Amino acid sequence: MARAVRSGTRVDTMLLVACCVMALLATVLPVTLREAIAGGLRRTVVAPLLSLQQQAERGRSAFLSREATTSRLDSVSLRNMQLARLETENERLRALLGLGRQLEWGFVSAEALRSFPIGEDHQRVLTAGSNAGVESKTPVVAPEGLVGMVLSVDPTQSIAILWTHRDFAASAMSADRSAYGIVYPHLSDSRTGEDIPPERYLLELRGVAFRTALKPGTPILTSGLGGVYPAGIPVGTVLGELQASEGWARTYLIRPAVRPPDVSNVIVLLPKRVEGQSLDRVWRSTVSADSAARKIAAAGDSIARRAAADSLRAAEANAARRVADSLARVGAVGQPAGSPSQPGARPGATATPPPAGRADTTRPSRPDTTGRGRRP
Amino acid sequence: MTWARTARAILAFVVLVLLHYTLRPLLGWRTPVDFLVIAVLLSAVRVRPGAAALIGFCTGLVADSLTPSAFGAGALAMTGIGAAASWLKAVFFADNVVLHGFFFFAGKWAFDIVYVMAERRVQGVELATQLLLWSPLSAAITAVAGIILLLMLRPVLEPQAA
Repeated sequence: MARAVRSGTRVDTMLLVACCVMALLATVLPVTLREAIAGGLRRTVVAPLLSLQQQAERGRSAFLSREATTSRLDSVSLRNMQLARLETENERLRALLGLGRQLEWGFVSAEALRSFPIGEDHQRVLTAGSNAGVESKTPVVAPEGLVGMVLSVDPTQSIAILWTHRDFAASAMSADRSAYGIVYPHLSDSRTGEDIPPERYLLELRGVAFRTALKPGTPILTSGLGGVYPAGIPVGTVLGELQASEGWARTYLIRPAVRPPDVSNVIVLLPKRVEGQSLDRVWRSTVSADSAARKIAAAGDSIARRAAADSLRAAEANAARRVADSLARVGAVGQPAGSPSQPGARPGATATPPPAGRADTTRPSRPDTTGRGRRP
Repeated sequence: MTWARTARAILAFVVLVLLHYTLRPLLGWRTPVDFLVIAVLLSAVRVRPGAAALIGFCTGLVADSLTPSAFGAGALAMTGIGAAASWLKAVFFADNVVLHGFFFFAGKWAFDIVYVMAERRVQGVELATQLLLWSPLSAAITAVAGIILLLMLRPVLEPQAA
């Protein structure tokens, strides 16, 4: 028993000494050998542990950076929300530039600021005043059409009323000049504040001759009568006829061309530009320029499609030609001149490719179906 | 030790090694818990000193493979504390929690001393700070963690009968 214990102690001591010696040796090994042993361990035994450690460290860094990530996400979302607004504004400014290009002269562009409390959404402060040539009762327009009129002017700013204002009125006509009348804001319910009904943002075309009926969708333009608004500015489109008390005239409900919330940048037409000038062509060319741009884009697409189809057709033709050439070459190499190209072929037959349609499969047209059931 | 006890001890060892490579980096403390030392100490008290030295050597070598600049230092330190724990296990037969805590504390501190000395990387004030400030702190945290783990693993780790 004592011998066994002694022997066990000796084995323990030997193991301990061996382990210590190996560990000490490991500390003084050359770097390359040390790296080789460590690398071998890392690739085998330690690899799963190392993977666990990496994942844990990644989890910790993700946990630590969560606040920064959240705030970054918030700011990106906020910017994204602003992006749609900026895109809309950009489109409007582009349209305004296009309108300015069509007008060529006699106008001032201005920002329309909303400086009145909610519920008084019928006026705007324009950032252009008498210093820029703006005068009272000059029309204010947007790319979509008529916005309103300048009410009062200061040197650097002016106040304009929108078409929703109860004092707004404009002489108007249908686009084909068949009907004339006066456009007023639709004041069927003059409530103010947050509960303004949607009808409040419509217009009425009053005093249209009874004999003239306007269909829904008919464009309404300013007529130029009255001297304030030049002819040809889009006012809106006909929605339908209103029941009016007068028996000799019709009144129509008009959907306005310009929505008040969209009024942010406008053009003020200077008096010289208004005098006796029809602006009908300006809006027509603005619309046509827009549609022309769309047509150009569409044409570009169709040209690209046609080019792709042409290249496909050319590739098919090349492939067919190559097949025909190789067949001809096979025929020329395998057979002597003047001999049939294939076994069983008739003498004198050439190696030209067969026609696309087989003659024996071409069915003659049935006399009873001729002229019937044909596709145009 | 029966097969069942051996299997349970191996299971506890594996769990502690996994904790060393998952929980320790997840916590990321300046004075980290050394689960490997706890694993070696808990294994060492259940085997003979020679086997304990071998377990310590292998565990240290695995740990050293991730720090090739100090290759061998961990193996030497683990071999030493493993063998010492096995020889001194008679002191801890009482299964006293405080004694176990001291056991873990002393084991971790001894490991750090041997490791830092064998590594020969730090010297002077830095060495003193490491051995007299950070190492005792780490040893204390390791001791606390060791006691918690011991209480949790008590059904698995029954102490060897004296």
